[in-house]
Amino acid sequence: MIAVELRKLFRRPRTWITIALLNSLPVLVAVLLKVTDLAPRPGEGPAFLSAVLTNGTLFPLAALAIVLPLFLPIAVAVVAGDSVAGEAQGGTLRYLLARPAGRTRLLVAKLVAIVVFVLVTVVIVAAVGYVVGTALFEVQSLGATTAVSGTSLTPEQVAGRTLLSIGYVTISMLGVAAFAMFFSTLTDSPQLATLGALAVLIGSSLLFTLDAASDIAPYLPTRYWLSFVDFFRDPIQWRNVARGLGLQAVYVVVLLGAAWANFTTKDITS
Amino acid sequence: MVRRGWRWAVVALGLAVLVALPAVFEALPADDASVAATDLRDRVLASDDVAFSGYAVSTGGLTLPVSDALTGVADLLSDQTSLRAWYRGAEDWRVDVVTTTGETGTHRDAAGTWTWDYADQRASRGDAPPLALPAAPDLLPSALGRRLLSEATDAELTRIDPARVAGVDAVGLRYTPAAEAASVSAVDIWADPTTGLPLRVVVRSADTSIPALDTRFLDLDLATPDAATTAFDPPPDADVTTDRDLTDVDLGRQERADLPATLAGLDRRTVEGVPDQIGAYGSGITVLAVSALPGRAAGSLRSQLAATPGAVVDDLGVRIAAGPLSLMVAGTSTRDGGSGTYLLAGTVTLDALATAAQQIQETDR
Repeated sequence: MIAVELRKLFRRPRTWITIALLNSLPVLVAVLLKVTDLAPRPGEGPAFLSAVLTNGTLFPLAALAIVLPLFLPIAVAVVAGDSVAGEAQGGTLRYLLARPAGRTRLLVAKLVAIVVFVLVTVVIVAAVGYVVGTALFEVQSLGATTAVSGTSLTPEQVAGRTLLSIGYVTISMLGVAAFAMFFSTLTDSPQLATLGALAVLIGSSLLFTLDAASDIAPYLPTRYWLSFVDFFRDPIQWRNVARGLGLQAVYVVVLLGAAWANFTTKDITS
Repeated sequence: MVRRGWRWAVVALGLAVLVALPAVFEALPADDASVAATDLRDRVLASDDVAFSGYAVSTGGLTLPVSDALTGVADLLSDQTSLRAWYRGAEDWRVDVVTTTGETGTHRDAAGTWTWDYADQRASRGDAPPLALPAAPDLLPSALGRRLLSEATDAELTRIDPARVAGVDAVGLRYTPAAEAASVSAVDIWADPTTGLPLRVVVRSADTSIPALDTRFLDLDLATPDAATTAFDPPPDADVTTDRDLTDVDLGRQERADLPATLAGLDRRTVEGVPDQIGAYGSGITVLAVSALPGRAAGSLRSQLAATPGAVVDDLGVRIAAGPLSLMVAGTSTRDGGSGTYLLAGTVTLDALATAAQQIQETDR
């Protein structure tokens, strides 16, 4: 069933259009940086963007930081919001459920397909970032990449920590995916499910900036998104990374549970 | 309907358990240890050789009316600061101020400090002067706790309830300054009962229930960190500079220095690194510094203070308070035929500042 869902997802042109659009922003930023030679100061603008003019191998990270706040979660919300509601709107949900596999397994298969989509998307953003970064900017061959803490990282360390970041960013998107998927079981409109997840995303991002909301900040789904920067401190700061992973796991378990409670007892008419 | 309900009940129960878990852990009572307040203070003061690494958060509740030159200090005392620390000894430690996308690290070695600023890609070398503006490493509970208790007398100390800090059942100590002039109503310190390491420090002022400063460890490991972690070599492409310390600051023409031996009930004292022109008074957490001000600086400072909400303006001068910190420009400009102008600053009440200003004027006559 998972293979069926994956085939369905990756055979759709719009999946690839989404991924292409997602890559357009970092590429545009890279071209602008190259043309103007104007990088933001370290600590300003998207993370790591300041360093790419002198070290193009950091551009995959900058590309992730560029798409992380909005583009990537929107893409995830669109795909996840479509997962169940899209089938209902297209009138295919009844036929899917006619198979003996059961609704719980369908939900799990949909979630796995979304996770694979996020991973593929993040890897492509990083890969395109690497190609664009190394083609347009200088590449430092003698391990002299300066970590956030002022120490030097070898190219192997940069590569390893970039892989950790890719994994972390992928998992960070699971909360948004779970929200969109839960909403997708509540409505027959994929647009509504996507908008619901985006409302959660925007609400969370806004509350995170408010001092008055500091007590609930550790529970906001976007709270630890930027913690992939912590992989580039020396030593690596695991505290927020671990909390980010735990928080996403809680959102996935609770929302998948709610989606399951709702979907397995729902009357399917379309 | 029953069949539909049990699934939601399972989800609701799971959610309730997950939401309640942190609160339940927080509410678990901490164990106390039988130790006298004075013994606990001695243990805290002797804890500067306890190695540790940890993560601490400091929350300041003060709004300082300061100029652009001092925004760093103002931010430390008004914002939340996240600190990562590795401590091997009094002259071998590292404290990083961690922000979402950057950090500023201070590395101490036997000869001084390296400060690494990621935002500016700048490493600066300082020689650890005896007198310096407050910096982030001073806010670490271990450093702050030892500093605040260093002059606390036996009579000023009492034990308070224990608290769990960074997973440790920490024993509590309250330091209530005895001086009448004190604006700090109490300093509460929770320390590791075994090593005496301060784990949480709360500074309270009498006028508000919001602590002026609350700094605590969230994670703590008492293993000795690697020497490589605290050491620092400036990156090859970094901008390397030398710190300016307070002795480099031009204090302007010093008008006079004959200050009384006692002000507002606080005795004058000598403090290493403080120039003779500045009078230092008091002890422990109740201190007052007095300096003559050149006329030009006095005028601009006076108008700045007078424009601050809550400022008291009278014949003695202008005075303001931000939590337990108070500041006064006393006297009138000598050009107008008045007395000399003084800057008074410290952790004393506004009434104590007024008394001190009056006593200075009387000495002048």
